[in-house]
Amino acid sequence: MRSARPWGDPEVSVVVPVVERHGDLQQLHREFAAELERLGKTAEFIFVVDDQLRDVVPALKEIQERSGRDVSIILLGGPFGEAAALTTGFAKARGERIVTLASYFQVEPAGLGPALQALDDGDDLVVGRRHPRIDAPFNRLQSRLFNGIVHHLTRTDFHDVSCGFRAMKKRVARELNVYGGLHRFIPLLALQRGFAVREIAVPQRREDCPTRYYGTPTYLGRLLDILNIFFLTKFTRTPLRFFGLLGAGLFAAGVLIDLVAVLEKVFLATGISDRAVLLLGVLLMVLGVQTLSLGLIGEIIIFTHARNVRDYKVAEVIRGPLPGGPSALDDTGARQISTRQAS
Amino acid sequence: MDVSIVVPLYNEEESVGALYEEVRAAADRLGRSWELLLVDDGSTDATVARLREIAARDPRVRVIRFRRNYGQTAALQAGFDHSLGRVVITLDGDLQNDPADFGLLLDTLEEGYDVVSGWRRDRKDKLVSRRLPSLAANWLIGRLTGVEIHDNGCTLKAYRADVVKRARLYAEMHRFLMPMMSLSGSRWKEVAVNHRARRFGRSKYGISRIWKVFLDLLTVKMLLGFTTRPAKWFAVLSAPFLAGMLLAFAASVYIDLSLPAGHRYPLIFPAITLLCAFAFAHLVIVGIFSELVVRTGDFRPAETALSLSQPKGVSA
Repeated sequence: MRSARPWGDPEVSVVVPVVERHGDLQQLHREFAAELERLGKTAEFIFVVDDQLRDVVPALKEIQERSGRDVSIILLGGPFGEAAALTTGFAKARGERIVTLASYFQVEPAGLGPALQALDDGDDLVVGRRHPRIDAPFNRLQSRLFNGIVHHLTRTDFHDVSCGFRAMKKRVARELNVYGGLHRFIPLLALQRGFAVREIAVPQRREDCPTRYYGTPTYLGRLLDILNIFFLTKFTRTPLRFFGLLGAGLFAAGVLIDLVAVLEKVFLATGISDRAVLLLGVLLMVLGVQTLSLGLIGEIIIFTHARNVRDYKVAEVIRGPLPGGPSALDDTGARQISTRQAS
Repeated sequence: MDVSIVVPLYNEEESVGALYEEVRAAADRLGRSWELLLVDDGSTDATVARLREIAARDPRVRVIRFRRNYGQTAALQAGFDHSLGRVVITLDGDLQNDPADFGLLLDTLEEGYDVVSGWRRDRKDKLVSRRLPSLAANWLIGRLTGVEIHDNGCTLKAYRADVVKRARLYAEMHRFLMPMMSLSGSRWKEVAVNHRARRFGRSKYGISRIWKVFLDLLTVKMLLGFTTRPAKWFAVLSAPFLAGMLLAFAASVYIDLSLPAGHRYPLIFPAITLLCAFAFAHLVIVGIFSELVVRTGDFRPAETALSLSQPKGVSA
């Protein structure tokens, strides 16, 4: 069994964003550190604490005193939320493998082994799926609903996309741009960038089981997040396809309604001027054109910035054994692999 | 380097070998230095393995492998980004384009054009599913954008590298490549090229849903219009609402005058007047906002004047 090396970078960086509710962080650290040691991995723990939870700092200091330099505590300057906490933790991480954990007991530490193994086998990001689920039926219903909507809108197959337990290679973490509510969709963001993503089943912890109720604002926020990820994964380069279709639909509905009203006036002699339905039609047309105009603005923004944006990600540039050094034009951060090495 | 040849490939394991042989034979006959850039657009078959073999044999070949499938526009863009030649030639990976046309394209380009596009005058594809939709699309694109070109869908094209590297390509703009190039002031010409029946596999880049193409066309149309004055474009869009406002206002006044005193006055027309006024105002405001967006972006019509004043002539 290897102890943590006093020099060099650890193999695994565990990032724990402490932003909302949290469990016994000392026990969390103890269990996962023990599992990592059992797997023979050197590890560091990075606790990123949101400003409003600064009460946990003394407990974290105790962990730090016990474990030495392999535990870092980062205190955010404000209530910036989970996405900001993760991004900060990723930037600080030194290991080639990065594991994220929820700050409460969500899954058993036993999931670490298979997750890290999957990364060694070639996957770029692994997300946990709490399975089998043993928690309250209401929790499961919420989760199914959330993942069902995401599944239908993005046409991807994740059962527990927002699970806090993830393992990824360092370059994935460095490349992801997580902000706002997007931390819930990290697997989707990685897929979009062409990384290999896999979901693995991880036993759920008993502590994760009590029924959770959230307020209406939370649910509305989630819905907005879903809409956001739907737009971001599909229409970032073609905003008019989203706003245009929406706008055209609204406009067409308005035209149709008013057309019916006018026909009724002409053929059935129904009075038109005192019917609210005429107003509804006009309102829909106005809304349609406004939506469409936003799409057009979006297209102008994309066009005027297109020169700096590249749609593609290069996995590698393959070149023959002969002349020429590395291409100066290869600005995509691609690995340069000669065919002799690769085959 | 004189000529860079760019080929986007997606699941073309059967044809890449023959493609390489044909391109090499044709390019060697040009009597110029050349390179071949094969862009693998996330193929799931043995294409990449074949490409590795080809790259290992010939130092003039480079393979750019994508992480996943990004579409033809991105593949072409990657080819342009990585090309070192003074001229870039693109062609399809399915062997339907004939590399023997390279010479014709280059000669035409040297007459002083920035882009020379192939025209598959004698197209060897199915009539109903491919040629008729393409005819309709080309006609519509020509009418709406003013770039009247017979064949927007032909990948076989030759470009002056400094012009095409500056082109703005994204999303699925490869369908509107010529209008987009003309947007930046490129001089273009169309020449008839050979087209051959498909030997392997089946077509990958089909027509996607029609509404996408229409919305993209609207975008291109707007972009063509806004390069000079974006606010004006939105003003045109707002005109129907100005008309609606005036009509509804006239109706309100007419009703007001024709009703006997004390009669209940219907509020519907004044309401429509207000709604149309709001929509009109909104579009004018958005138009002014679009000026701001354009000014803070990096598109300058003046920039394209540079591309026209570049010295012509391919051969070193």
